[in-house]
Amino acid sequence: MARKRVSRRRFLELAGKGSILAAAASMFPRGVFAAPPSIKGPIKIGYGTVLSGTLAGYGEFHKMGALMAQDEINAKGGIAGQKVELEIRDATMKPDDAIKTARYFVDSWGADFLAGIDSSGQALALGPVMQQLDKVLIVTHAATEKLTEEWVFKKGVRQIFRICNATYHDGNAAAYVAKDLPAMRWATISPKYEYGFTCWKMFQDTLGKLKPGTTFQTESFAPAGTTDFRSHINTILDARPEGLYSTEWGGELITFVKQAAEAGLFEKVKHVLFPVGAAMDVLEGLGKEMPDDVWISGRYYFRYPDNQTNNEWVARFHKRWNHYPAYVSETAYSSLYALKAAVEKAGSKDTKPVIQALEGMELDTPAGRRLFRKEDHQAIYDVPWGKTKADPRYPIKIMGEQKLVPASITFARPPFEGPGTRPPF
Amino acid sequence: MQSIVHVVLAGLSNGMFIWLVASGLTLIFGVLGVLNFAHGSFYMLGAYVSFSLVRALSPHFYLAMLFGPLVVCLAGWAVERWFLRAVYRLELPYQLLLTFAFVLIFDNLVKIVWGAGALHPPPGLGPLEGSVEILGRKFPIYSLFVIAVGPLVALALWALLERTWIGRIVRAAASDREMAAALGVRVPALFTGVFIFGTWLGAVGGALAVPYVGVLTPGMGESIIIEAFIVAVLGGLGSLKGAFLGALVIGVLNAFGTRFFPAFDMALIFLLMAAVLLVRPRGLFGVARS
Repeated sequence: MARKRVSRRRFLELAGKGSILAAAASMFPRGVFAAPPSIKGPIKIGYGTVLSGTLAGYGEFHKMGALMAQDEINAKGGIAGQKVELEIRDATMKPDDAIKTARYFVDSWGADFLAGIDSSGQALALGPVMQQLDKVLIVTHAATEKLTEEWVFKKGVRQIFRICNATYHDGNAAAYVAKDLPAMRWATISPKYEYGFTCWKMFQDTLGKLKPGTTFQTESFAPAGTTDFRSHINTILDARPEGLYSTEWGGELITFVKQAAEAGLFEKVKHVLFPVGAAMDVLEGLGKEMPDDVWISGRYYFRYPDNQTNNEWVARFHKRWNHYPAYVSETAYSSLYALKAAVEKAGSKDTKPVIQALEGMELDTPAGRRLFRKEDHQAIYDVPWGKTKADPRYPIKIMGEQKLVPASITFARPPFEGPGTRPPF
Repeated sequence: MQSIVHVVLAGLSNGMFIWLVASGLTLIFGVLGVLNFAHGSFYMLGAYVSFSLVRALSPHFYLAMLFGPLVVCLAGWAVERWFLRAVYRLELPYQLLLTFAFVLIFDNLVKIVWGAGALHPPPGLGPLEGSVEILGRKFPIYSLFVIAVGPLVALALWALLERTWIGRIVRAAASDREMAAALGVRVPALFTGVFIFGTWLGAVGGALAVPYVGVLTPGMGESIIIEAFIVAVLGGLGSLKGAFLGALVIGVLNAFGTRFFPAFDMALIFLLMAAVLLVRPRGLFGVARS
């Protein structure tokens, strides 16, 4: 009969390893942060964002936020006692590149979690892929409501969460701002793809209900990569609308605003809404060229909320990077903290318990208190709208007069079909 | 009326950039017989180099516009002298492969030197800032300048090729390079010269585009080379007259498409090209090549 015996040498070896482990463990904070036995480090987070092309400015801001979160978390003992390892790669704006990046992260690099993703087309393409890879992806920028409504809610891709606000903010909340403006005839110059179409449609539906009689006669959609908006601007000038709604964003919004100013558009059309105009690369890129009294918003605005958490974060960010944080910096930063909170709550970095921990989780972030809605994994939090104005304290235009349209009245509600699921409620 | 005039103006100014790129492309094809896919890269390099020079030489905007394209000519010289010369005798696919490789090389070079992101030239480049009122609507003075430069370049090119001694030699080498060589023309040197000149035309387009497009990206050469190719094919490969006319047509058609047929604005120019090629396979002013 064979008996398992522990030899003297093996015993000493094990004892030695044990004491090293014990010594290592004592270096980390104990209590809630102490690593439960099931978590092995490091915690690897793969971050995909656009780092090339006209929209690369966004990627740089993602990077700043994500790196800052990584360094801060590691300086304070990591996630559940384990070090965070972050890798940031160029996922471009193309769906196939996003899929390639996700597969690389999970299959080759061994990522535990994924975050980032800028375009709606990419996010939608990742739906089935994330289910197959079975890793949690926190979307920090792509805004299409179809991601959370179709993939997460209806088709049950529970691996995807979105920490930034969605097209609900760009379309529905914009309509709440527009309803109080003395403009009945609206037009748009927007991107000629999913995001541009869906926002404009939402804006029309909601504003049409809030203010019957409003007309939407002119639309001019510019393909991705447009550098010459002059023909589009002419279309709008011909139509003489009272209000202009535009979901152009990033470098293309910068180009569009410059060319629109040359053509005198802002003198002819008095009420202008840029739902993603409060992006830092746009505010910095245009500087004083950003016209006054344009309504702008985004997925976070660095001067809101005016509380200690946010103000201290903005100060730290500015000190390290010499920029004010863009909205993607905040969503990138908070996505790492959301993963930290979820892993520590779940006591595991496995996909299933982390999903359970994230569902319904409330989290204090620089943008304020976020709630991850259980049904569709959409984060609920408020972002203000504001009218641009110059301020001697800043090299950029900031929001002067502000208006807050709460997410609770503008975000569509599950089950997303039938009466009472779309605003106005 | 106001609308039509402005659509035409926007189309013309856009068409002039396509013309500057297409002129070099078609000139190089006409004389050297090479389809240079990397020609859009010279446009991109012209824009980037001039942009850097504008910053360095500020406020001497026009000096930068003058020197920028000359710097790019060095790249053109290197490509022709050390690489293209080796494939003149090979078939077209080899030339396309080589020049396409240069598209990727130059794109990545720009990413290394200037970064992968977009550069936004600051406002107030040069004295042609501001707009004039045309039929009650503002139009940038700089765009008018561009619309004026295009035909001037066309006129200068025509005079150079048809009215000068060097033009005669170029035309001679284009129609029969063996005969020209037998008569004492140093054909390889001439080809290098023509290639550098074509490079310069594309780079001038890029330099002029800096204040116009308002954004520089590493891929900017790729979108314009497609339009320039369409223009060159439409006008007849090798024909400068055809390229000029083609560029005007494409520019204006694009502007009209965006304004009046937004659903298929991008399809319009391809439809036109298909139609022209069906009726005149060699393009509007193309001649049969032996």
